[in-house]
Order: sequence, then structure tokens, then C-alpha cells
Amino acid sequence: MERTEIIEKLTAVFHEVFNDNNIVLSDEMTAKDVENWDSLTHMLMITKVEETFGIKFKLKELNKLKMVGDLINTIETKLQ
Amino acid sequence: MFYKNILTPILRSIEQFPSRNAFCIDEEHYTYAQLSQCISKVRIALLQCNYQNTKVGLVINDDLETYASIIALWMEGDCYVPLHPNWPLERCLDICEQVELDLILDSSPESRYGGGTFLLKTNELEYTVDCLEPIQGVSDEELAYILFTSGSTGKPKGVMMMRKNVAAFMDSFWQTGITITEEDRCLQCFDLTFDVSVQGYLVPLTKGACCYTVPHGQIKYIYASSLIEDHQLTFGAMAPSMLRYLKPYFEEIDATSLKSCILTAEACPLNLMEDWYKCATNVELYDFYGPTECTVYCTYYKLTKGGENKTLNGIISIGKPLANCVGLILDEKGNECAVGEKGELCIAGDQVTKGYWKNEEKNASSFFYKEVDGKNLRFYHTGDLCYKDEDGDIMYSGRLDHQAKIQGFRVEMGEIEWHAREFLGDTNVVCMAFENKDALTEIAMFMETEEFNPEEMIAYMRTKMPSYMIPTRLYYVPVFPLNANDKTDKVKLKAMIEL
Repeated sequence: MERTEIIEKLTAVFHEVFNDNNIVLSDEMTAKDVENWDSLTHMLMITKVEETFGIKFKLKELNKLKMVGDLINTIETKLQ
Repeated sequence: MFYKNILTPILRSIEQFPSRNAFCIDEEHYTYAQLSQCISKVRIALLQCNYQNTKVGLVINDDLETYASIIALWMEGDCYVPLHPNWPLERCLDICEQVELDLILDSSPESRYGGGTFLLKTNELEYTVDCLEPIQGVSDEELAYILFTSGSTGKPKGVMMMRKNVAAFMDSFWQTGITITEEDRCLQCFDLTFDVSVQGYLVPLTKGACCYTVPHGQIKYIYASSLIEDHQLTFGAMAPSMLRYLKPYFEEIDATSLKSCILTAEACPLNLMEDWYKCATNVELYDFYGPTECTVYCTYYKLTKGGENKTLNGIISIGKPLANCVGLILDEKGNECAVGEKGELCIAGDQVTKGYWKNEEKNASSFFYKEVDGKNLRFYHTGDLCYKDEDGDIMYSGRLDHQAKIQGFRVEMGEIEWHAREFLGDTNVVCMAFENKDALTEIAMFMETEEFNPEEMIAYMRTKMPSYMIPTRLYYVPVFPLNANDKTDKVKLKAMIEL
């Protein structure tokens, strides 16, 4: 899957989970930049990402996700 | 009691263990010597501030200045009122106004406060000399902190905790038999707006141990699990929902360093604890219960690994009252219920709050006097439905009112409905907490209206309430179903929620 396609699908997940269709993803974006991004919505988002891309994260991988860019990279790696 | 149980032990830790770590914040360690310098600089600055109100606002960043400010304020005989940096400013300003704060301590590089209130920027202070001698003669009846929780009338309500309450709580805590020494490493994963945090920092600081915090903006359950593993933490209190989030990853987690672990802030399911034992193989588990009004915890139950643990509907017993608490189950007339009979759990003793800040109506309805063993005790209505078994262990059955716990935070559905209605006008709104397929609590909001674009409404609600109070599911119902009594049929509404 192309990176642009990943970002497109991920954007849809973010819009749904965080209830905000104006979110524009960027590599540097963190939980601090999204109003509703806390433990609960993070969990919902991760579950949705796993469903959407048909992948499964390890806790160690989630641990390293500091920015949205890390998430995109991890999805990309796992899809290869 | 506050000097003996709180301030003196902290000073002893500073004196005995200057080079040991007091805090680990955002991967950086701070020694007791550094903590003491930080307390000193805040106190000296406080002495130079001109403030009349002993209630002082504290912006609760995750840094050494914020924790040191709490101790500094207590040494001055003052009380802290936490203001969360991520809460809507309007909500924080409402708190400032309610308490008539004339001083706010803030370590943020760019403060949100100013104007009429005096602002002390603790991040800009330099240490000069020690100033660690607490002001003497401050009464135990003086306030130690005021915490604002969700209120059903749309405004947060302040719970006033006295120095006596905190001192009695610490005494109760140590009497449970949990032991902490300067060798321990303790998890503090609760926001300072939430009172389990008081246990979170006081337990390590009064024993010379190290307190590991979770920075804002980190995903709490993930960060906490890596703290436990990377720093080999030995003690911590957690909300069961944190373990629920972690459950899919239990096989990857090594929590063998944990010696004791407290589960609190929510009903605690036994099966989750049995799975947690598999990661935390050396742990003693405890279920602690308590509303903010009774200072952190007021009852506890120690689990037996691999043995029989008492449950009701899969929820672990909340056990027996702590040493400084009296807990009775009362019926609607205020008489004690028989063994096995359900009633409201009511708590008395030195841990019970002085009351709600400037809220006579709520104070009149929440507290009452009752004679027990010849003594007239002041009780708090917890609103929790419970019964006692033949051993005196308390079994938790649910809430009597319209309150839910979201990620450990107490949320009044009425407050969310209030704000939604403020935006929507006359529209009928019902909020409901429900467990999703991962057994996590979410909030669903039903609106009696045709579907519309909710963005503006959600944006409005975000200016009024913290993010955990914003509904995660929205349902538009043109006409609410009614039950046989012509009331909104909440059972039918609830059935619309897809898990």
C-alpha cells in the first residue's frame, strides 16, 4: 500500500474516532494536538487502525509511537 | 496530626536521603536535595507574594515545580486548588472565580492566567537558600486542597479537604500493612486533579522512595506499563480500566518487579486481576475504594492469589473500612441494614470532608449525623449501593444515581446533558455510560432530533468540559421511546448502542 493511501485511510479513522472531520494528519502531530486524544480514544483508534489495515500491534510498538509519523511508518512496515 | 503524619516524614526523607531520587519525571531523575531546593525557592517566592486568600491556584503541570509547590504551600499553611492545563480555560476560570483565588502558581512557559490574579511563575525561580521549616501552629482544621469534580448543575463542585483528613488518610493507609521503604519505586499515574494522586506522591515522599509520574499528553496505560518494566517499579495504584487497556498485551508485559499493587477508582473485576497475576507474578493485589469526599480511600480488600476472593457479579469486594473510617450500610430511613441486605454505604470518621465549597444545598443533603456506639458521628452519603456479608466485608452493587466513572474520573451524566442542552436549546438529551466490547466505559448521547452535523456542538462542549466527558457516540432519535410510566425509555435507548 502506498504511503498516501495509508494516510488517506488513517485520516478517515481519525475523523471517526476523534469526532472531527477537520483533522489533517501530519508527521509531527502528537496526542497533545488533538483535543480528544486520551487513553480511551487512543485505544479506539488503535483498534480501528488494526481492523482497517488488517494488522496487529505489539505493546513495544505502541510504546514507540510518539508522533503520527511513527504510526504511519509502523503501519507501512507491518504491511510489507 | 498533619505535621506528624505528613510534613515531618517528608522533611525526614529530605534530611536522610538527599542523594536518593525523589522523582522521575519524563525520564529525568530528581533527588531529594533537588526537591528540597525547589520547595525552598517556591516558599521564598511565596513569602514575597502579597496574597490574602490561603487557597492558592496551582497549574498542575507534570514537573518538579508543581509537586514542590504543593509541599511549599502546605509548609506555609496554605491550600492548593489544582487547575488542569488541558481543561478548557473557561472551566478553570470558573474554579478561580468560585474560590476567589488571588494567587496562582504556574510553571508553564506561557501561562494562561494573569489579569486580576497574581501569577507566580515557578519555572522562573532560582534557588538561593533553604527554607524548609514549616510555619508552626497551623490547625488541622485548615484546608489542604480543594478538588473540583463534575457537578450535575453544569458547574464543577469543590470538595474541601482539611489537613486532618489527609493526616488521617496516611495513618489509615499505613495500617493496612503495605510497607514502603527508601528502596521502593512507586508509580504515580493519576492527574493531580484526582485525589488518588495524593496517595501517589505522599506514599513515596514520606518514606524516601522515588515517585514515577506519567507526563501529560502521553497515553497513560502504555507509558505506565513501560515505566513498570523499564524502571522495575515496586508499587503503584492503577485504575482497573488501565489494566483492561493493557490486557491484549499482557503476554508481552513483565511486571515481576511489582511487590504491591492497588486497584482503585472503579469497580474491579476478579477475572482481570487473575490475568494480571500472570504478569505481576510477585505482587500482592489490593482493591481500594473511596469517594473524593472521604480522602482517597476509605475501604480496602486484600486479594488472595490463587485462593478464594469474594465477588458480587464478578466484582471484587471492597472489603472493610480503613482504620480511621466507619462504614455503615443504611436503608432509606437511615437504619442499619441486616447482613446481606442492600443499602447505601455511608462513611464517617476523620477522613470525611468538611463539605462542598459554598454549596449549602449540597452540604445539607450529602451529610448527616447518626449516633453509633454512643457517639454522634457525621456521615457522608456515598451514593453507592452495597451490602455487608457475614464477615463484615462490603460488596459493591452499583450507583444509586446518574453518575459514571470514565477512566476513573467521576462524571455526572447530568452535567454533559446540561451543556448539550445549552447548545441545542429545547432538545431533549439523555447521556448514558456503557461498556464497549473491550469492557471500557464510553458515553453515548441521545438527542431527540433529526440528524445534524455535530461538529459545532462538540466544539462547544469541548470549551466547557474535559475531554473524558465528551460523548464518544452520538444518536439522533426523532422521537424518544417512552416506557409504561410515560418516561423516556432508557432501556430502549440503550439498546440502540452498537457494541
